[in-house]
Amino acid sequence: MTSGQPSVAPPLPSQRDPLVGVALLGIAAIYVRALAFTPIEARQGAAQKIMYIHATSAFIALYVAFVLMALTSALYLWLKDEKLDRVAESSAEVGLCFTTVVLATGPIWGKTIWGAWWTWDARLTATLFLWFIILAYLLLRGAVEERGRRARYSAVLGILASFLVPFIHLSVYLFRTLHPMPILLKPSAPSLPNEMLVTFLLSFAAFTLLFIALLRSRYRLATLRDWVADREAERA
Amino acid sequence: MTPDNASFTTAAYTLAAIIYLAYVLSLKLRLRRLRARAIALETSARPRSDRPEGA
Repeated sequence: MTSGQPSVAPPLPSQRDPLVGVALLGIAAIYVRALAFTPIEARQGAAQKIMYIHATSAFIALYVAFVLMALTSALYLWLKDEKLDRVAESSAEVGLCFTTVVLATGPIWGKTIWGAWWTWDARLTATLFLWFIILAYLLLRGAVEERGRRARYSAVLGILASFLVPFIHLSVYLFRTLHPMPILLKPSAPSLPNEMLVTFLLSFAAFTLLFIALLRSRYRLATLRDWVADREAERA
Repeated sequence: MTPDNASFTTAAYTLAAIIYLAYVLSLKLRLRRLRARAIALETSARPRSDRPEGA
């Protein structure tokens, strides 16, 4: 259950992670491209550009972060490798950050198109519900001290939380909802003009890089935290 | 007619930047605190003769 033989030297990551810097620069470049060099959609106006941060953040949170959390949680229950638990924990926290952006930017876009900041339709409500479950997942991790038990409980909760992901994806087909249908993840061709599609795909690449950079930093933090906890336990 | 709602776009982009930067900052601060604890633990575990001066 423990991470094997205790290492003498602490796994100290460097103070500055260049990958995070590169990812933030990529996001800055996307901001410039989206705001200054991508055409304005005729019916929605400039507010349509919120899509480049809202939809990409949602895509990465739902289909990358929470799927990775569920997979590594399931693998942890099978293999009992602490590294998998740390990846699940890190992916959940970074995914929560991305979902927070989704829930913060969505209402701003909604206000311009629907005339309301929020509506209790299936997709919005389920996404908010998932946000609370992931928050509960992280609170649970903070509340259980024994590491093996903490990993087991949170792995089960992480897997259960991930069941909401396909429901959120399909909610626009299953229910009458104000939320628009997918523009990319659908059987037919993407419904975006080329210039907008390129900006969207570049934005997706930049946010994926940001996710990887944040996940790596958060994983290193978890590794160091466990090392410190082990050393402190040895002394006690 | 195309609606004029650029201020909403600016607000959304600003809010997203604040959330991401705040998270990066929180990671950095937590890492700095842990590093200090890890270095303190490592230093106190070493024999007295191996410690750097002032440790």
